[in-house]
Amino acid sequence: MTAMRVDAKVVMLGKESVGKTSLVERYVHHRFLVGPYQNTIGAAFVAKPTHVGDKVITLGIWDTAGSERYEAMSRIYYRGARAAIVCYDLTDSSSFQRARFWVKELQNCEEHCKIYLCGTKTDLIEADRAARQVDYHDVQDFADEIGAQHFETSSKTGNNVDELFQKVAEDYNSSSFEVMPGEMSFIQKMKNLRLPHVALRLH
Amino acid sequence: MAADVDRQLWESTNGSLSIEPVCSDRADSPAPGLVSGTEPGAGQETAMFAHTESFEDLTADTEGAGLEPQEREASLQEGRGEDEEEPREECAVIGRQQQEGGREGGVRDKDKDEDVTSDAWRAHRKHVFVLSEAGKPIYSRYGSEEALSSTMGVMMALVSFVQSGDNTIRSIQGDGYRVVFLRRSPLVLVGVSRGSQSAGQLLRELQYVYLGIVSLLSATQLQRVFAHRQSYDLRRLLSGSEHLTGSLLRLLERDPGPLLSAVACLPLPGPARDRVSACLRQARAPPLTFSLLLAGTRLVSLVRRRDLHLHHLDLHLLANMAASCSAFREAEGWTPVCLPKLNAAGFFHAHVSFPLPGTPLCLLLLSTEREAFFELSACKQRFLELLHKRNALLGLQEALSCPTYSVALVGVPELRHFVYKSRSSGLYTSPELEGPYSSDEEQERLMCLYQQLHSRLHHPTRPLSSIYHTTHTHNLYAKVTSGFELYLCFSALGTKAIAEAAVSKLLKWIRKEEDRLFILNPLTY
Ligand SMILES: Nc1nc2c(ncn2[C@@H]2O[C@H](COP(=O)(O)OP(=O)(O)OP(=O)(O)O)[C@@H](O)[C@H]2O)c(=O)[nH]1
Ligand SMILES: [Mg+2]
Repeated sequence: MTAMRVDAKVVMLGKESVGKTSLVERYVHHRFLVGPYQNTIGAAFVAKPTHVGDKVITLGIWDTAGSERYEAMSRIYYRGARAAIVCYDLTDSSSFQRARFWVKELQNCEEHCKIYLCGTKTDLIEADRAARQVDYHDVQDFADEIGAQHFETSSKTGNNVDELFQKVAEDYNSSSFEVMPGEMSFIQKMKNLRLPHVALRLH
Repeated sequence: MAADVDRQLWESTNGSLSIEPVCSDRADSPAPGLVSGTEPGAGQETAMFAHTESFEDLTADTEGAGLEPQEREASLQEGRGEDEEEPREECAVIGRQQQEGGREGGVRDKDKDEDVTSDAWRAHRKHVFVLSEAGKPIYSRYGSEEALSSTMGVMMALVSFVQSGDNTIRSIQGDGYRVVFLRRSPLVLVGVSRGSQSAGQLLRELQYVYLGIVSLLSATQLQRVFAHRQSYDLRRLLSGSEHLTGSLLRLLERDPGPLLSAVACLPLPGPARDRVSACLRQARAPPLTFSLLLAGTRLVSLVRRRDLHLHHLDLHLLANMAASCSAFREAEGWTPVCLPKLNAAGFFHAHVSFPLPGTPLCLLLLSTEREAFFELSACKQRFLELLHKRNALLGLQEALSCPTYSVALVGVPELRHFVYKSRSSGLYTSPELEGPYSSDEEQERLMCLYQQLHSRLHHPTRPLSSIYHTTHTHNLYAKVTSGFELYLCFSALGTKAIAEAAVSKLLKWIRKEEDRLFILNPLTY
């Protein structure tokens, strides 16, 4: 078993059932689970290494639960995050309102966190154009305004999913020369965990 | 009064009821040779759990969550409101409501899409409803809450009406129905059952559902949101937890653990278990309060902080939460969870992982520090490394591949099934439900029979030390001593003499197997 090493913290945010877990599942395990939908309880963490050029960057992905119940906890998940993938369901306009809420929250509390707006479930739109409730250009305008990236994905078909996370890893790589105070402390914390003197203290 | 009804039901179906009265202080009348602490399955050291009595007075508000003293008093008078209501009326009301609109957001499991006006909806064996004291729907086991909002309004009206006369409504017995109410301010829970379950059992289930809600929100937050606004829609905070409540109800219907206030262990040879426990303890970190290793609802190992005891009920809630989190399987979960019996006011933070892919083994690491994720994640890693290093993995994997055992091992041909609880350790053991009990329906039926025996043994005013009960298909025998509690199910060929002989044979067998079936050496950090 290899110890976990994480370069960049990435947080998934968005309303319940917009497809955050499915997105992570598709990216990390290349699969889409059918069957009854299981809400995430609290949050789940998974580390995923990816190649950027000849470098390996490990993304530490926090998949948070959309339920309001955990809203008070959300800060610990996005604090120090390098990237936030703010998801909304293209077939549910109310989920975009919730995405705006998260954007505001991030702008207020995490100014160094890059925002990626992600419209999910494009396969449903392809099957039935009338199902679209969130306009592409409206979101693009909003993204330009806040300096965010904009993607539309389907976890069912895999459409655009790797591209999204690859972009997150590349952006991290190209900006990682800049020193960010909040980020340093996060990385330091991760590294500390594997220092021998910490291990000794535990026994 | 509910208990009286119980007794009537019981005696009318039971031709050969044998009652051996016992004084309620069982410590004075120990069973032959078996005193608490020396029975098979008793732990070597202090108890692992907070509370191992098999009977909790569900009418007593142990959490102290919001019941006014006067209300408490009223609820002790057993449901004076009962006779005033027409049960058949009530059931008819439930069926007549109109659908009032779907649920926003779309994706729901099929239980939620049910037409609440259909016969199929009415035919469910058990309904459970949760509403606020303002009469707002919070949860329904079947059908959407919106569609049932007027039904729930009627229920709240019933509760308030009876309450206004300084009474508390406890249960309504109808033609083949039983309706039970549990008021846990700011919530009201209602159970409607068509089966032969006693009011006490239904009440226990409602209590679990209530504490399940507390485990998600904490009693403090629950009080706070309603103190702020009485008409608060609690579904906003509970969204996404419906499947947890659903699986909790299924657990209650099949698992003897909640009934006996006990926990089952994964059978694992003693030395192998001790090795696993030692690894778990050695992998500890300062923020940890409990480390639990579970296979489904079965406990593999538990290491706790010396000054803290887990309550079996909290453990059942934790196991239910962990089992319902398939999303956790590949990743590591991190979630706040309230353990209502330990501290209903605050949250623990649980690190949840499934460290052996392809097995149900679940590692739960509990801490009070919300920032401890990576530290606990490192614990998990260390635990796995230790398992490898000390060759503890193979034994564990073998045990996980055969989590149950056959009743035939006991060597009593007429014996079909049993449940044995060691009272001092709070652990129980039970063989696989096989043969005629492989269907869900038969399992629930058997559980129902055990529930009936249990409520007779633990009758609040006339407890019994043993009971023999015959039906067309079964012979049942139950026995309680200061050391253990035992429920046996025999085929129709069984007799009381066989049953009594089987008890001593079974006790010998359990004694021989106890280091595999129980956790004899519980550890602290
Ligand atoms: N057709 C289609 N369905 C999807 C897609 N992504 C997710 N879903 C479905 O949407 C539902 C919710 O997906 P999840 O990924 O669990 O949603 P979530 O955002 O993690 O939800 P919470 O954990 O409750 O916050 C599930 O039934 C998925 O099968 C997609 O790309 N296409
Ligand atoms: Mg999710």
